[in-house]
Amino acid sequence: MAPPKIFISGMHSGQNPCSGVGIARCLRAAFPNLTLVGVDHWQGSSGLHDKSIDETLLLPQWKQINDAQHGDHILSILNDDHLWIAAMDMEVHWLAEHLGAHSNLLAPGAKALELTAKPAVSGLDGLGFRVPDFISASLPDSDIHYFLRQHAWQCWLKSPYHDAKRISSWIGFVKARDAMAKSWRTSKLFLQRHIIGSEETIAFAAYQGELIAAAHMQKRQITPEGKTWAARVTAVEPDFLEGFKEAIRKLNYTGGGEVEFARDPDGHKWLIECNPRFPAWVYGGALAGQNVVAKLIAHVWNMPFLETVNPYPFFTRVVQDIPAKESVGIPLPPDPATMAWASEGKKGKSGPDFSALIPTLASAQEQHSKTPDKSGDVPEHIDPSYFTEISSLTEQYVGPTPARIHLEQWARGRFDRLAKRVKQASLNTSRIQIGFSVKTCPTDDYLRKAKESGFFAECISQMEVQRALSFGFLPSQIILNGPGKFWPLTDKPVTGLHALYCDSPEEFDRVIALPGIAKVIGFRMRVPKVHSRFGNPLDDPRRFSDLIHKMKKLQGRAELGFHFHMPSWAIGLQTWMQALDSLLIWCQIAERLSGRPVKHLDLGGGFFPADLERLDISGIQESVRKALPNVGTLYLEPGRSLTQDGEILVSRILDLRKTPDASLHEIVVDACIAELPLAQAYSHRLFFKQIGSLEANSPPVRLSKGETRILGRICMEDDILSDGVSLPESAQIGDYVIFGDAGGYERSMSYGFGRG
Amino acid sequence: MGLVAANLQDPIAELVAREKHFQEWTEHPSSSLVHHDAECCERARLWFLAYARSMEIGNISQFEIKAPIWLQQLYSWGPSSWPIAWCELVNKKVLDCGVFAALAREVFKAQGHEVHPAQALLSYNETCTNHWKALWKKGKDDTVFPWIGDRLVYHELCVLELPDGTAKFYDSTWGNWYLSQPRFGFGAVLAVRSECPRLLRWGSRTVACGEWVEL
Ligand SMILES: [Zn+2]
Repeated sequence: MAPPKIFISGMHSGQNPCSGVGIARCLRAAFPNLTLVGVDHWQGSSGLHDKSIDETLLLPQWKQINDAQHGDHILSILNDDHLWIAAMDMEVHWLAEHLGAHSNLLAPGAKALELTAKPAVSGLDGLGFRVPDFISASLPDSDIHYFLRQHAWQCWLKSPYHDAKRISSWIGFVKARDAMAKSWRTSKLFLQRHIIGSEETIAFAAYQGELIAAAHMQKRQITPEGKTWAARVTAVEPDFLEGFKEAIRKLNYTGGGEVEFARDPDGHKWLIECNPRFPAWVYGGALAGQNVVAKLIAHVWNMPFLETVNPYPFFTRVVQDIPAKESVGIPLPPDPATMAWASEGKKGKSGPDFSALIPTLASAQEQHSKTPDKSGDVPEHIDPSYFTEISSLTEQYVGPTPARIHLEQWARGRFDRLAKRVKQASLNTSRIQIGFSVKTCPTDDYLRKAKESGFFAECISQMEVQRALSFGFLPSQIILNGPGKFWPLTDKPVTGLHALYCDSPEEFDRVIALPGIAKVIGFRMRVPKVHSRFGNPLDDPRRFSDLIHKMKKLQGRAELGFHFHMPSWAIGLQTWMQALDSLLIWCQIAERLSGRPVKHLDLGGGFFPADLERLDISGIQESVRKALPNVGTLYLEPGRSLTQDGEILVSRILDLRKTPDASLHEIVVDACIAELPLAQAYSHRLFFKQIGSLEANSPPVRLSKGETRILGRICMEDDILSDGVSLPESAQIGDYVIFGDAGGYERSMSYGFGRG
Repeated sequence: MGLVAANLQDPIAELVAREKHFQEWTEHPSSSLVHHDAECCERARLWFLAYARSMEIGNISQFEIKAPIWLQQLYSWGPSSWPIAWCELVNKKVLDCGVFAALAREVFKAQGHEVHPAQALLSYNETCTNHWKALWKKGKDDTVFPWIGDRLVYHELCVLELPDGTAKFYDSTWGNWYLSQPRFGFGAVLAVRSECPRLLRWGSRTVACGEWVEL
């Protein structure tokens, strides 16, 4: 019979390595002639190429593994007198469940796993460890919030296996909880307070309840992920060892293990966790003279081993290039589109993970909507008429501040230019109809302009419909959108509308039951990959089928249209055009399958002022004509683009703060985020005007980027209106700071605050 | 002992000799999907094509070949029973490499590329093939093609025919492009076959329609 071999799993060797390679190196150093077999479930685990490994056993990905067959396979290996060292937490759990104990299986059993489970680790009671406070992450949110507050928002979210995420905010917690529950398919997550202390661990080896070896490691250098890079490894203190031997005996522990703890400055030891396998740094320990793996094998097989002695008991890591083994092979390169996401792979359990691709768009949108855009701080070309209007209005202005001032001529210009373009474009294939987004800025000024320009009113509630009607819009000039169209429920819905776009199939069933509700009944489409909470999802073929059936019901009742809204200001015009192309295909197949001609296509709003004026309307008309020849009218629903720069907010300086070298670093103005709720969401053009300036009619000056922060008047930490402008050193209390781009949502979402 | 990865000193002939289905693999035509010629399948096919197009939103790559790597998120790999129709497959969670390849061809075609079915013979160790046999047995359908041998497996791919007459083999199941250099070790590619009616250049090789090319 061939000499027995040692099978070692967990050969992933990346920034966050498994311990297989370390175990193999420990054994190679101690037993030059042993045959070591590297086991893994992914060809990309580079430890398989290490020279300490003699043979490899590559298994299919875990999800392709047949449990019974895998159990039989390992059992046959063990029965042939080979040893199996499990180096991955998940695998240890699997073995305990499917295989049970075997004298040649070097892994703890179910009972030991249960008693060393996080967070309590009851099997190590009585060893002088304290357990940091913890709480189940499935408790009511209010309890968790309380726990996080109690612990100064310095906690770890942990899964019962491995994986820990640092939590410092509520948003961060909610995101991490979702992600971790999904990736570990468990709701048994818990939060544990962070312990400030130096990180130490004890690596150990045991066989059938007998502690064979233990080594004490103190971290000296760590990676950004918290993994060991350099450390000191010494023998375990005799006092601790006695109690530890007893604990191991009670656990009837077999195999490698690691007790992680933090030692605080007062000398208390706080237990972090007990891992049921050797640590990845175990070979570093061997180099420092503590080869716990070799001692275990020497005990099990009763044979001598080569010991390393190192008078300087430290090790450090180094990144090393090694030749790859032809017998193992290297995975094929991934498609270039996934390269950026695929470099680290997935810890030897499967190939590269592509799931990162899906949320790319979503996070891009999120970033755009939260990250302040600094581009506005660089003076750019300003239309002279815009500037002239601001000059003349502020010159005459006397009165309370902060004050929002309407730029009548400029706003009129925006409406007129759009009305003219629409008129011209309507001479092409399809008519263009504008629906003014009422929610953006429902002031009389704007509603009047919209009406005079021949625009429809785009509403999102019965309340807005009533407002439009009272202003003289006819029901047939109203487009009703959004998830809450019939709010308030106490109002009888207005009928005879021009168009209504259903946000869900359920809503459609209610809408179709309302006789004469609208000439056009359509659907808002949630195009796959475009992150949105609105509209009818298209990514499930059954739901799509259902939608087609609903479209067929429109025959004889209403014309079919589609609505789509993706804020181009957040994702860029290029992606917006791609999404439009994709939408046209969805509409095309809906038309084909439902047999209902698509006569109306509503492209929504969300344009930045300059973007709408740059939009290639005739190009869009042409694409629509080709894809959907029945479309007679194309709709755009601008709001922000017509109103955002149509108002300014005039404020005055309340306080000036200087650095020790007398440069102006902060001012406080009498405006605040209650008047400018989106101050940090997009860039605003800023102007400055001095009072008491001797020159009559001195116009305001445009402020460029600089070092002076503009703070708002209220006592809220986030009341910062600008991160830095260049303000003249001569600025005084009472001088004017004028915020441009203060219309649109800045007006409609503003609120009263701090006024007594 | 047969536990460890394929020993590459074994001549291919010896590998082949052990495979009782070898003849079937070499003669098996690429799989194609059934279309019931009714709305059920047309709706499913159109849904899939529209979905594929949406998956390209936000792809800012400058190249025209946009491989449908997202297919692996939509479906996982496992047994399918054949024949399979469009209206059945879109509602499945698990599909085999033949369906993956047929779907990928539809996507490439919609992007305007010339694309054809292709096949490959790959080498794995017996532990792997045994697990896959078990996975397929769980699908417990007699209509499954015996694609798994002891050390060799039959696999379906797509081959893109570029305007200059070169071939690009795409593994639609795992999202990789094959290289024309020989590939060793786990998953070694022993041979490929293209169903492109024209001669294609692939590295230093010429690939003729329906003929197995050894690597
Ligand atoms: Zn069908």
